[in-house]
Amino acid sequence: MGALLVFIGWFIGLVFAANGIAGLVIALIIWGIMTLVAYFQGDNILLSVAGAKKISPSDHQQLYDVVEEMKIASGLEKMPDIYIIDDPSLNAFATGRDPNHAAVSITSGLLQKLNRDELQGVIGHEISHIKHRDVLLMSMCSVLLGTIVILSFYASRMMMFGAIFGGGGGGGRRGSSKNSGGGGGAAIIILVLAILLMILAPLFAQLIYFAISRKREYLADASSALYTRYPAGLASALEKLEQSTTPVKNATQATAPMYIVNPFRNKLNVNNLTSTHPPLEERIRILRSMAGGAAYANYDQAYRQVKNTNSGIISPQSAAAAGTVGLRAAVAGGPVEPPVDDKVSRTRDVNDMMYRMNDYKTIECECGAKLKVPPSMQGSMIKCPRCGRAHQA
Amino acid sequence: MICPVCNKDMFVIEYKRVELDYCHICKGAWFDAGEMELLLETAGLKDGTQAVHDVLKLPEAHTAEKKRRCPICGKNMKKVIIGGEKGVMIDACFQHHGLWFDGGEVADLMKIVSEQAGCKKETESEIMCFLKDVFQG
Ligand SMILES: [Zn+2]
Ligand SMILES: [Zn+2]
Repeated sequence: MGALLVFIGWFIGLVFAANGIAGLVIALIIWGIMTLVAYFQGDNILLSVAGAKKISPSDHQQLYDVVEEMKIASGLEKMPDIYIIDDPSLNAFATGRDPNHAAVSITSGLLQKLNRDELQGVIGHEISHIKHRDVLLMSMCSVLLGTIVILSFYASRMMMFGAIFGGGGGGGRRGSSKNSGGGGGAAIIILVLAILLMILAPLFAQLIYFAISRKREYLADASSALYTRYPAGLASALEKLEQSTTPVKNATQATAPMYIVNPFRNKLNVNNLTSTHPPLEERIRILRSMAGGAAYANYDQAYRQVKNTNSGIISPQSAAAAGTVGLRAAVAGGPVEPPVDDKVSRTRDVNDMMYRMNDYKTIECECGAKLKVPPSMQGSMIKCPRCGRAHQA
Repeated sequence: MICPVCNKDMFVIEYKRVELDYCHICKGAWFDAGEMELLLETAGLKDGTQAVHDVLKLPEAHTAEKKRRCPICGKNMKKVIIGGEKGVMIDACFQHHGLWFDGGEVADLMKIVSEQAGCKKETESEIMCFLKDVFQG
């Protein structure tokens, strides 16, 4: 994969050299700056654009516990930071250039929808991205992709300019301004080449990028199964994502500028699944077909079975290294609540956490209603819309 | 949450474990899709996630009333009439974020509900009955 990317870079560089080395130097500088920004600032930019808030254990004990369990199961040395994004859509992603500067982010919507087993499956998936340094890999890949897009655009412009005004072979500066008869054929060839390059290079780069991304997604699913020893948890979470109709809030505005410099691929996102992620339905079927154990070998076997192929997705070495791991039973969490009550409690807990974090004040009115008042309205008199009683907020 | 009519902060009212966002200036209310889902599923209706989808299937109402923007995504919402022929006109987000009831609409709606004989186990009726429950005082 890397070799192909290098080849594209080299090929574009070659074409550039014909027109002048300056373009290549400029492009390389752009690449260098984008890489540095992605490396040192990528997470901060991403997290502030996404409106993420860092939480402490007391804000949401269950989420903290689940992240800690997955941190231990994966063998990570440092506990990642945990962020909540106030967004009704269902989404989660990992950030961080290395395992010591990592964070897991989850939307309030997803946190409301998932039970403990499902949450563990999703967090296991994200922890795998951190553990396997996918975030850095994918951000470097996306920077390279972005650079190729810029390079090929710039290269084809230069060549068209050269072809039209330069009368063929030479660049604009060296060529004469009048067209000679012999230069016409060469100009057309260069023009065709330029258009082909402009169309093909970014597409090619994107395909490689998606292929790498998909492979990391399978590995993260396999790791989640291994860490949780309960593939049904992630499978069930993915089913909820599949059914969700809520689109990602401001998805385009918030994420499009980040695309070039940011690893916005390492997430469970319904909207992006068609491109960077394998189809959800297939991932669910693989997880559901895991039989006999939760090890990489079991995932690999399920993968071959579902994809009807002989080539697995996990390298034999890592499959062997992980050994055999048994499946566990579903978590029996105290008294069994009807699913809908459970869902209501989860929603109220997550929403109340968001209100606390945004400094809302809660007033319990005698009529049975609870009023939750934002900071801007605190200090004024609030009338309960249900019974009309006045309260000092 | 910001009121789509007044552009001022709304506060939240929780009743029977379901929340509404309420504007104390224009007395309008925002019913979030997720909250509607909780209400309908607690009431025993099978698929609460379809609530806004069902409302959006109603025909666009012809009116001179100003378009309202969804407080979540900021996009224009669809005007539809719920509660039958003489029902009330409300705004529904095309992105399924939720429903908006203008101040006057809530009052009209309460009148309709009290004229009807009780609440039916059906999406629109449950939503209207809940609103009446919250604002009956
Ligand atoms: Zn208002
Ligand atoms: Zn909306």
